[in-house]
Amino acid sequence: MYDMRMPKPLAAAAACKVSARGVQVYYGATHALRDVDIDIADRAVTAFIGPSGCGKSTFLRCLNRMNDTIPGCRVLGDIRLDGEDIHDPRVDPVQLRARVGMVFQKPNPFPKSIYDNVAYGPRIHGLAPTRADLDVVVERSLRRAALWNDVKDRLHESGTGLSGGQQQRLCIARAIATSPEVLLMDEPCSALDPIATAQIEELIHELADQFSVVIVTHSMQQASRVSQHTAFFHLGELVEYGDTETVFTNPVDPRTENYITGRIG
Amino acid sequence: MSMTPVTAGAGSLFARDPRTARRRAAEARFRAYGMGAVLVGVAALLLLLSSVLSSGLGAFRQTQIHIPVMLAESALDPSGTRDPAAMRKVTTIGYGKVIDAALKDAIAQAGIALPLTDAEIAAMVSKEAPAQLRNKVLAEPALVGGTVQVSLLANGRIDGYLKGRVTMDSAQLDRNVTPQQLLLADEMVARGMMSRDFNPGFLTAPDASDLRPEAAGLGVAILGSAYMMLIVLGLALPLGVASSIYLEEFAPKNRWTDLIEVNIANLAAVPSIVFGVLGLAIFINFAGLPQSAPIVGGLVLTLMTLPTIIIATRAALKAVPPSIRDAALGVGASRMQAVFHHVLPLAAPGILTGAIIGLAQALGETAPLLLIGMVAFVREFPSAPPEGFFDPAPALPAQIYNWTQRADPAFVERAWGAIIVLLGFLLVMNAAAILLRRRFERRW
Repeated sequence: MYDMRMPKPLAAAAACKVSARGVQVYYGATHALRDVDIDIADRAVTAFIGPSGCGKSTFLRCLNRMNDTIPGCRVLGDIRLDGEDIHDPRVDPVQLRARVGMVFQKPNPFPKSIYDNVAYGPRIHGLAPTRADLDVVVERSLRRAALWNDVKDRLHESGTGLSGGQQQRLCIARAIATSPEVLLMDEPCSALDPIATAQIEELIHELADQFSVVIVTHSMQQASRVSQHTAFFHLGELVEYGDTETVFTNPVDPRTENYITGRIG
Repeated sequence: MSMTPVTAGAGSLFARDPRTARRRAAEARFRAYGMGAVLVGVAALLLLLSSVLSSGLGAFRQTQIHIPVMLAESALDPSGTRDPAAMRKVTTIGYGKVIDAALKDAIAQAGIALPLTDAEIAAMVSKEAPAQLRNKVLAEPALVGGTVQVSLLANGRIDGYLKGRVTMDSAQLDRNVTPQQLLLADEMVARGMMSRDFNPGFLTAPDASDLRPEAAGLGVAILGSAYMMLIVLGLALPLGVASSIYLEEFAPKNRWTDLIEVNIANLAAVPSIVFGVLGLAIFINFAGLPQSAPIVGGLVLTLMTLPTIIIATRAALKAVPPSIRDAALGVGASRMQAVFHHVLPLAAPGILTGAIIGLAQALGETAPLLLIGMVAFVREFPSAPPEGFFDPAPALPAQIYNWTQRADPAFVERAWGAIIVLLGFLLVMNAAAILLRRRFERRW
């Protein structure tokens, strides 16, 4: 009896921000993700864990429709942001992505100045009509990303000249500059050293005050440190989803237990 | 299950085992082959350049005869009004007589006593010289009535004698020059009446007829090539870049786009003469565009250059890391914003390099131009664009081909000179490509 998912609305205390029902993802003929049901809480950190190729990043990319950009990728099922279907034909993915920001695995700043990196989102979405407004948004985003003190004197130098950890914080600043409601992070620390990782984790903690943060991670320690809820994916299925503490200390599904204790994965 | 450690070689680190020695030897051999290949290439290039320069540099210097010419009013302005319209009635024949007389006088003055007929003396100057003098006088009518010191083009054979192409022996057999004329040339050189000088006319003058190679220049051909390049740049760059961006960034990947892709690759491999036939059939016979015109040459070369630009642009776009597109889309940029704000600036150096290399290729292309009449003999300069695009003009490579076909060896020297000019343009364009790439190259 392996089908012991817990699709029931979990986040009773926190409001549900994103809810997914029966999500299927196909890459061509490959059925990459089966029947995922999940409710993601607002103003909390949700971690997706699981072995490589289990579909956790694929599912993350469903939440802001980044999978649309992959040729041959089909997403079926129902995903709602604040109760609105994100696959509705009236939804422009461009607007969706302004509300659901994303930070990628490898730091990918634009080869432009630090300022322009952060200002890009607000500029294209018209969030800061004047230069002064833009300055405010850039400073606020960089402060929230704990990067302001490092870069305030060289805002017009290239973003690619920063260290790896700084680049990733710059990408976070860029993602939060458009004031998204959900922040998706796809293994944001996998390319970083432990010190930079600690800084990013602290940042995630703080961001959870304002955003619903979803983080994909390979590190179970990281999941247990930063998240309130954890979802375990395995072979394209959502195996278990619950409070982080419960999932790590008292998992329901034997596969979860095997993964956490290091027997699979 | 225990694993047996596999070691490369047991024993001392100081002893080289035979396998390592073989690998070392293979590497040394490969380096030697590589260096050999580079040396062969460099030697071939040096040989090419030295032969081009030694054969062609002569075309940039031309033998001139410096004599005082008495511009008699009775001969050149019978009306006495100095009105250029009236003076035009005197043709080059009239000026030729003036030059003949002046040359004869100058030789007598200089005390050169050689048994020369009047016809031999007159043949020392180029047949183009009267026209040169006429243009000078018409431009400045006030000169008439006085004596002016002029430099006149020498006959091509005399020029060839000073450059070593014509010898006493060859002059014996040549109906166009006599040994006496060569002796006269020696005397005139000794007296400073004849010298080889830099010849700007080679770059500015139009082509000249078979009998006056000394006057032939590249002016019209350079303009024709420049006009064609303008057309190629104006059409091939936007068309090529737009289609590459569409194919690379927007088009769905299906059987149609695959088909288009294969065809673009095939098009790049089509022999250029085929484009010439196509141009002849479509642009001239069907569309009725004029022959020998830069517009047709430009259109044909555009078709030929398009695949090059498309392939280079697509490669440049592909080289932009996908993470940049993800980053832009992730903050909510539209596809087009992602391309134009981020991908295109990063791909620009590659696109520009590809475009310039495509242009350089087009500049040197000859075969299709032969078919659409760009080898025509044209002495009229085309007017300014855009009307000039429809005026007949040869192109640089076609002019080279044309000159090598002429009988007089003086034209062969000019063909080599034209090769130097063409190579100069290509060098400038390739240098521009390298500079642009250096300047705009960005790392990520």
